[in-house]
Amino acid sequence: MPRKVAILITILSLGLLVVAAFHAPEKRTVDMMAESYATPWQLPPFGADRMGRPLLDYAMQGAHIVALPAVAAGLLVTLLGILGGLVRCMGSAQLESLVSGFREMVGALPRMVVILVVAIVMPLEWRSLLALALVWALLAAPGAMDEAAAVAGRLGGARFVEALRAHGFSRARIYLVHVVGFNLRPVVVRQGAETMMQVVFLEVALSYLALAGQYTSFTHNEETTKSWADLLYEGYYSIALGIPSGHALVLGLGLVAVTAVAAVSISTAARAR
Amino acid sequence: MSGRLLQLRGLAVRTQQRVLVRGIDVDVEAGRVTALVGPSGAGKSLTARCAMGLIDVVPGLCGGTLKLPGTGDDRDWYGPHVDGGAAGMKRLARETAPLRGSYFTYSPQVAASALNPGRTIGRQMQLAIARRAQAVEDAGAEIRDLLTEVGLEPRAAAALPRELSGGQCQRAALAIAIAPKPRVVVADEPETGLDPVLRRGIIELLVDVCQNHGAGLMLISHHEDTVERIADHVVRILPHREEAA
Repeated sequence: MPRKVAILITILSLGLLVVAAFHAPEKRTVDMMAESYATPWQLPPFGADRMGRPLLDYAMQGAHIVALPAVAAGLLVTLLGILGGLVRCMGSAQLESLVSGFREMVGALPRMVVILVVAIVMPLEWRSLLALALVWALLAAPGAMDEAAAVAGRLGGARFVEALRAHGFSRARIYLVHVVGFNLRPVVVRQGAETMMQVVFLEVALSYLALAGQYTSFTHNEETTKSWADLLYEGYYSIALGIPSGHALVLGLGLVAVTAVAAVSISTAARAR
Repeated sequence: MSGRLLQLRGLAVRTQQRVLVRGIDVDVEAGRVTALVGPSGAGKSLTARCAMGLIDVVPGLCGGTLKLPGTGDDRDWYGPHVDGGAAGMKRLARETAPLRGSYFTYSPQVAASALNPGRTIGRQMQLAIARRAQAVEDAGAEIRDLLTEVGLEPRAAAALPRELSGGQCQRAALAIAIAPKPRVVVADEPETGLDPVLRRGIIELLVDVCQNHGAGLMLISHHEDTVERIADHVVRILPHREEAA
């Protein structure tokens, strides 16, 4: 896929996610019972739950919950990946042993277990996907740092920097443009995009877990805000057809698909050449 | 085309613990080859980097003079920085930075270190050509000519370094080194990792290309036979065991 097309798709998919998040209804305290008696053509686009509330509102609330944490986690992993690569190029033994200690220690932790512990231990009033997403990003960072360090190692590490200095480039330009911009970018951006997608799946998994265990949500503390699992649960039964149609899947999977498309197109756009 | 381009006298560099090199004299003239030879660890690469104003050891420069007559500036570039410590070495690197990549170019030991794996050969040559004193009207044609001169197909411009063989990478590195039309090319063991036939071909190409462009070549090598055959001046550098005072 040409880079320009990938950039366009990235802008469109991320834009859709952000616009949906910003326009998500804040709270839904009033049930629109009257709509449950509406005929199919009077129902909102993408259907309604058994109470007649538009499923699109749920999807937008889902986007609202995941948009910022997913992007923040992706950025954190990207930055830590860059750090891992740069440290290898700097040729500083102390810094490298510090970073490798972090990588080994954090990399050894079982990610999902840590997330579950944090989700359960976190006080109700502090509950947000952002905190969990940042913890997830920290746990995912060693992989990104390892890969970035391997790329920097293949470049020749400090020798590559020396060679470019002899070509007249300043250290800042070498690190920012030649090492990060030209070489680490495809790797760290892909890792960041993957983390972004993982945070959405994390929300899906945790919201299902909360729903199934009848816990208060792990990912948000506003009772009236609905997550991905709520969307599927509430929109499972079609009031128009009177059967469990699972029609909310269209929107739920749509939200995941938008994030997946964004992640793939970001990685493609960042690929070198 | 003749004339002295670089004159290094009495170079002395040390770390806190020991003297790395002392009393090294190097001259580079236009269209001629100056070879630095010596065993591994003797300080050949260090001398070449010092000649370009890059001294990364502390306290670093403790003696010597560096003149670059080809710049039209008669000053001693080391003058104010001898015994200047880390700050002095930084100032020297900053002062000489505009010369690197234009007056001097560098071809490192392993071509992979000279070539940016994330950029096509053409893009890297474009960057090098942009460092010329005079702007080039048709950079594309210039890139094609340079690639042909070093024995590569013009289509190599679209290739990433990983898509080229070791010998082709060395040729591409040479094309990039010569692209800014430098006065002095510093080649740090360009034959490393190549088979004997390819090694001879690359060295001969390097000498020919530098002579065609009127550039002086500072060649670092530990192959005495190669050096004897092609060098106009030979500087022998021996390992220094003297401890710092």
